[in-house]
Amino acid sequence: MEANAIKTARAGTLESMDCLVAVADSDAGRVIEISGASAVRFKSSMEKTINDTLDALGAGERLRISVRDNGALGVVLGARVETAYKRYAGLAE
Amino acid sequence: MEINAAKRKIPSRIEGYGETSGKLYEGAFARAPSGYRAGPRMRAAVPNGKSKVTGSIKEAVIASGLKSGMTVSFHHHLRNGDFVVNEVIRACAELGIGGLTIFPTALFDVHKAIIPCIQSGVVAKIMGSVNGAIGKLVSEGKLDTPVVLRGHGGRPRAVMSGDARIDVAFIAAPTADRAGNISGRTGKSACGSIGYAFTDAEYADVVVAVTDNLRSFPISPVSIPGVYVDLVAVTDSIGDPAGIVSGTTRVTRDPLRLLIASHASKLIEASPYFTDGISFQTGAGGIPLAVTAFMKEAMKRRGITGSFGLGGITGYFVDLMREGLVRKLMDVQSFDLEAVNSISADPNHIEISADWYANPWNRGAAVNMLDIAVLGATEVDVDFNANVNTEADGALLHGIGGHQDAAAGAKLTIIAQPLLRGRVPCVVERAHTVTTPGEVVDALVTEFGVTINPRRRDLLDAVADFAISKQTPLVPMDELAARAREMSGPMEPIRVTDRIVAVAEWRDGTVIDVVRQIER
Repeated sequence: MEANAIKTARAGTLESMDCLVAVADSDAGRVIEISGASAVRFKSSMEKTINDTLDALGAGERLRISVRDNGALGVVLGARVETAYKRYAGLAE
Repeated sequence: MEINAAKRKIPSRIEGYGETSGKLYEGAFARAPSGYRAGPRMRAAVPNGKSKVTGSIKEAVIASGLKSGMTVSFHHHLRNGDFVVNEVIRACAELGIGGLTIFPTALFDVHKAIIPCIQSGVVAKIMGSVNGAIGKLVSEGKLDTPVVLRGHGGRPRAVMSGDARIDVAFIAAPTADRAGNISGRTGKSACGSIGYAFTDAEYADVVVAVTDNLRSFPISPVSIPGVYVDLVAVTDSIGDPAGIVSGTTRVTRDPLRLLIASHASKLIEASPYFTDGISFQTGAGGIPLAVTAFMKEAMKRRGITGSFGLGGITGYFVDLMREGLVRKLMDVQSFDLEAVNSISADPNHIEISADWYANPWNRGAAVNMLDIAVLGATEVDVDFNANVNTEADGALLHGIGGHQDAAAGAKLTIIAQPLLRGRVPCVVERAHTVTTPGEVVDALVTEFGVTINPRRRDLLDAVADFAISKQTPLVPMDELAARAREMSGPMEPIRVTDRIVAVAEWRDGTVIDVVRQIER
């Protein structure tokens, strides 16, 4: 498949126990922004999930990841980040 | 700093609350009263004396003799529709009265209108449940003195014992007459039971009924007789009916919650209390109400009938009584229109005071007669301590309500709750706040099954069959806590300062825990 990069891509919903993840270009290296239900108590583990997922996909550093959380478990967050990144990179619909 | 029997560190002196030595929680039934009850100032009315009726709340505030620094009390039967608290505080502000201690049974979001009066010093201290916006304000440390949290039983106990004195009680009265007789059953602002207001009427130095429905003397039936009432303030409207009574309460359709309710119902059915005359309190929450629905099926199947339903009453309980599955309802707060209509029409639907409902220091509150209590909690820890006061971020968001009293009184106290709310686990190593000690919590029920407090060996024996039938799993507490940890992942601790923003009292008036200001 030919990589057809677009500027931003999203995955997920704002339903309970889900999250909405947006991936976009960044000039300032990898930037992670987290807001919503779990941000106060799970920020570090959410950042780790996001970085580990992106690294496993071979994603670069020039990315801005925005998460609006509504209580997603770690596995859900990882899946949403993976899909959002693949859409961003033109690897998935 | 000392450690109480709930293993909580409590400073020996709390600024704005007082000394705690000799007042630390010692155990659920460790403390007994001594001496005599406190009492209000004596007063008399003579035949053809001065009229009790005043034209406005402001006139009543003046006539009551309310002065700066005094304590004013309120009851919360008008819930999120209440106008009375806001109007009394506004009148005080206009009259230059400040430094008040307000002593409501609970404050709701509608009362955020008094926030400017908290910031300007008209209100200096709050003793009572704070929900919503005012809870947030308190958590952020915007009050100079800590909020005192008491449950429905602890509050009348505090009043009767003299721990809390009321200078002026303002009683929202959906119906009143010129002699000060009060009822909550009729009128455009009808709320049914006014049970929380009884003790305030009996013990306040001055009692003001605030009504939007002044009827000819005498009204009937009477909930609070005019012998306690000094003044009747007539106003256009005491509340918004849409906020006073909720719509029809329905059983949840969420499959996860239904599963939890089904597990809880099986535990109840297996317990020795599932016999003729069973009594229960399940409140208005989604899961507890669904437990009642499953119990109803089981009661029909096994051909047993209950004696009474207790606490806050909903239309669902009214239906249970109409179908003959419980004989009586004992109602301290009528949640919906069906409950309001029922208490007005059916003598088997009994209005009870908070004292009668839950006070540990009288000659036997109704909770002492309870078999089953089904309750919720934001957190339960591995020692079965329950937190209903603070949220996952450490903010003070809920009052105690009847949680402590129902748990202490019932023979089988069940906390029914999903293992996770969002990503946040409900089962933790250590609760952020202890509201109700594990000593009076018998079982926790989640979607993963039934977890019994090991203290209750008799209950473990009663559910021994569960291991064979496999329909309802038995999960030891350490397994459940490990599962919660695994699903949610590592959590960051709640960062708090040393400053205490609320003191939670156990029902006997001892300090069970403190809530500290959140670090921002």
